[in-house]
Amino acid sequence: MISMRRVTKEYPNSVIALQDVDLEIGKGEFVFLVGPSGAGKTTLLRLLFREEVPTSGSVIVNGHDVGRMRPRQIPFLRRQIGVVFQDFRLLPQRNVHENIAFALRVIEAHPREIKRRVAQVLELVGLSDRGHALPAQLSGGEQQRVALARAMVGRPVMLLADEPTGNLDPQNAEDMVRIMLEINRLGTTVVMATHAAHLVNRARQRVVAMEGGMIQRDELAASYHVEVNR
Amino acid sequence: MRLRTWVFCLNEANQNLLRNPVLAIASVTTTAISLLVLGVFLLLTVNVNAIATSVESQVAVRAFFAKNVPQSQETAELQTVRSWSQVRTATLVTKAQALAELKKEFGDQAKVLDSLGTANPLEDSLSVAVQKPQDVKAVATRLSHLSGVVHTTYQSAVVSRLFALINDIRVVGLVIGILLLIGSLLVITNAIRLGMAARRREVAIMRLVGATESLVHWPFILEGLILGGIGAIVASGLAYWSYVAAYHSAVRSLPFLPLVSPSPVARDIALLLLVLGILLGAVGFRISVRRLARV
Ligand SMILES: Nc1ncnc2c1ncn2[C@@H]1O[C@H](COP(=O)(O)OP(=O)(O)OP(=O)(O)O)[C@@H](O)[C@H]1O
Ligand SMILES: [Mg+2]
Repeated sequence: MISMRRVTKEYPNSVIALQDVDLEIGKGEFVFLVGPSGAGKTTLLRLLFREEVPTSGSVIVNGHDVGRMRPRQIPFLRRQIGVVFQDFRLLPQRNVHENIAFALRVIEAHPREIKRRVAQVLELVGLSDRGHALPAQLSGGEQQRVALARAMVGRPVMLLADEPTGNLDPQNAEDMVRIMLEINRLGTTVVMATHAAHLVNRARQRVVAMEGGMIQRDELAASYHVEVNR
Repeated sequence: MRLRTWVFCLNEANQNLLRNPVLAIASVTTTAISLLVLGVFLLLTVNVNAIATSVESQVAVRAFFAKNVPQSQETAELQTVRSWSQVRTATLVTKAQALAELKKEFGDQAKVLDSLGTANPLEDSLSVAVQKPQDVKAVATRLSHLSGVVHTTYQSAVVSRLFALINDIRVVGLVIGILLLIGSLLVITNAIRLGMAARRREVAIMRLVGATESLVHWPFILEGLILGGIGAIVASGLAYWSYVAAYHSAVRSLPFLPLVSPSPVARDIALLLLVLGILLGAVGFRISVRRLARV
């Protein structure tokens, strides 16, 4: 699903955000990406949906060579990937239903299909009765679930989440991870960058720990910190 | 793109326009004004041109005979003039013919000539067309030496002044028109850019979920086309109808002016303005598109 080989990313200001990163993530995996601020987590995710291109090395996502793909192909890569951010990024003038439907309308889905799928994802995130609310009328947790619904409405094979619980209280954060684990159980590959140690520890999933642009640790069913007493 | 996608893009374009109605009205108005000015100058040029051409074709030297010169002498001198190498054609215009021609030129207003009664104040004359315009002066001098000729006239001064006038009108019209077009282009471009700024979030999300670049661009292209197009429709409508009205009233009151009939020309110019307006919208988008490259 994801295959990174000797990936280095240097930004134009010559900050080296990733250095010689090798990472394999299989179909259907759930991976936490952890590490201190500036470790390169966001950069790694941005490479995966072709928001950035690697300076060297290869990034293969669902068969697409991200570094070499032509600009006209980018939209078709992105249709296979759902993305959520810390700051929700909803359209304030549109209600919940329209925000989610927007993602399908701009890829020219059929109106009947849009209606059906929006209802499905609203149910998945537990907001079936809030379709007509505007984002401002929702709590942070609800807004993030709308963003998650929008990311999933196109039935992506992969969900990328960059600190999705960063702006949420503990209860909403837990709900969010629970829904993402459910999405993963239904077959979607999930990569989530986070600082929330307790969420990582409770989920017992694969953890990739980064620091200074390099992968320090990659363990299955692991916790946020290295467990020294084991 | 599918029909529903066009509807979607049109809807987004409209929302942009409605979000900033003052700017939209400003764009439409400046476009309409600049195109209208351009159209008026084009119509003016076309007409002055037509007048000049008709006058030019009449560049003739007239040699007027004294009242008492007998017809036979006039005919003899006509033959002499016809033999001159500088002369293309020469005809004898009797005073009766001259009066009839004058009445025809006055058309509806011919009544003013009725006050003359049976008297004819005009004189017999030779109307001479030359081979080359520059011969006019020489031929006029030669004609004035003929016996029985009291005076000669020619129109070259009028013609050259008219051509100078046309040129001035053309240059002034073009310069003003282009300046105004640039102004309206700036206003349209500004409107599109503001639309792009207002829709940053939409654009970012469209790209994130895999919308194609053409779908990202079309709402803004349509916005430009709508702004330029509405301005152009207003301008070409105004130009067309006012020309038709002006032409018909001119034909009635100034029948001797060889104005250009509106049926081909006003329609062509209206179409030209329409195309220009739409082009303004498209160019406005082209200029702003770099803003969209990285949102
Ligand atoms: N667009 C950019 N241009 C230049 N440098 C950047 C850019 N984005 C990130 N960086 C730098 O690259 C390094 C890695 O940043 P990145 O955002 O990937 O870290 P992160 O692990 O996501 O951190 P955080 O936990 O704070 O979100 C940092 O030193 C950052 O300053
Ligand atoms: Mg980050």
